[in-house]
Amino acid sequence: MLSRQTSQRIAFIVISLSALIVVAPILFIVGYIVVQGVGAISWEFLTGFPYNGMKSGGVWPAIVGTLWLTLGTAVVAVPVGVGAAIYLSEYAGDNQLTRAIRIAIINLAGIPSVVYGLFGLGLFVIFLNFGTSILAGSLTLGIMTLPVIISTAEEALRAVPQSFRLVSVSLGGTRWETIRRVVLPQALPGIITGIILGLERAAGETAPILFTVAAFFLPRLPHSIFDQTMALPYHLFVISTQVPGMPVRIQYGTALVLMFFVLSMNVLATLIRRHYRRQRVW
Amino acid sequence: MDIKIRIEDFSLHYSDGKESLRHITLDIYANQINVLFGPSGGGKSSLLRALNRLNDLTDVAVQEGRILLDGEDIAAPGYDVIRLRRRVGIVFARPVPLPMSIYRNVTYGLELAGIKDRAQWDAAVERSLKQAALWEEVSDRLDESGYALSGGQQQRLCLARALALQPEVVLLDEPTSGLDPISTSKIERTLQELKSEYTFVAVPHSVQQAARIADWATFFLQGELIEHGDGKTIFTTPQNSQTNEYITGRFG
Repeated sequence: MLSRQTSQRIAFIVISLSALIVVAPILFIVGYIVVQGVGAISWEFLTGFPYNGMKSGGVWPAIVGTLWLTLGTAVVAVPVGVGAAIYLSEYAGDNQLTRAIRIAIINLAGIPSVVYGLFGLGLFVIFLNFGTSILAGSLTLGIMTLPVIISTAEEALRAVPQSFRLVSVSLGGTRWETIRRVVLPQALPGIITGIILGLERAAGETAPILFTVAAFFLPRLPHSIFDQTMALPYHLFVISTQVPGMPVRIQYGTALVLMFFVLSMNVLATLIRRHYRRQRVW
Repeated sequence: MDIKIRIEDFSLHYSDGKESLRHITLDIYANQINVLFGPSGGGKSSLLRALNRLNDLTDVAVQEGRILLDGEDIAAPGYDVIRLRRRVGIVFARPVPLPMSIYRNVTYGLELAGIKDRAQWDAAVERSLKQAALWEEVSDRLDESGYALSGGQQQRLCLARALALQPEVVLLDEPTSGLDPISTSKIERTLQELKSEYTFVAVPHSVQQAARIADWATFFLQGELIEHGDGKTIFTTPQNSQTNEYITGRFG
């Protein structure tokens, strides 16, 4: 029979270890990529085009492509996602329709990303004839991002105290005036955080852009939303698996750039949330 | 005594089966403090919220009868509830400043009413904060958050916010339930001073408060109107034995 002190100590060690096991791989991955890739980072690498069978030069067109795709995803997913969240939180009661919508959202979140890629290929690239383009890629990524944005935005809206809505209505506000003047401003930090986290995931995805937008190699920047583009995640996939004799330094350099891009969005979301949480009165 | 609101055979049932009102007929007098009191669940708050149609936001299953405000049936379907709520303001039990400055809290209703004139806002802020006996405490910090105020000040801010629209009727739903005795007496005194300009319908949080402020009092028990009369009579010589038992503290 263990003494209470001993079992307490064992429990503490086991729990601490599990926490450590969660953190360790992240630190290891980040550290490894930084160590392996930092040597590749230079002004030319960040702003130059790849050449010599992509074994030399930089990742500029892939950076630009990922920026475009992230922006395009936002244009598609933010209005629809936030609009749907407002509907679900402020207007819809609990009925057959809203239950169906919620189930659809949950299922949308569970679909593997490669299936989104095939769906985008079928609907946007072929059926709607957008071709392999930023438009088709953004729409595909946008639909994939919707569940994240809808659920975080709805949660943020629901967190706004009901009493604010009652007060606003009691002072002669319509439902929409109440949403616009009181509820949305209060929910905005949470909504923005959700948007950034959704976009961050979209920015790092490879499968959905594989068939819809990504170019293997393009020696120029995209001209319009109907153009193909290179993109960081796909570029990383290409130079890691499709090009023999690729210098490891460039692979990890590309990974470092992608990771920095995604991580800085994450940090931004955290900062926004922390800033507004301090100002919040309720 | 002028009748401001006439409630005629008014019944109300929620779809969740909680609290209801049965066949209420009652007159609310102008420029008086009309008190609705009784144990909780008796329907006072429901009746109060029917007077500015805040019940529309909850799940009302059945509503019958008429509520006449200056002769107009405000319970009728299709009645302009936005306009109604500008004429009939409300102060809730818990002070809920909107998450904005003291100044904007008071002007919020005016903004919604389409008043954009800064001078009009300034005048309304000063007038209603003075009426709510808060002006002297906050006049030099109107840009601070409404949440920078103490609980009692917040509740007077909520009163000022309702008064800013210059409503004809002000509903008070246990307006001092969370306040200390000093804040409570400040608000009670304010009501006495303001009743020459407004009609008050109040649900007090205690029998003692009901007796203190009532010009007219109505006792509700489980959705029914038991007794109605002038405050003095109700709280000294009630006719009904249930009223008597309640005010003497034998149940409640």
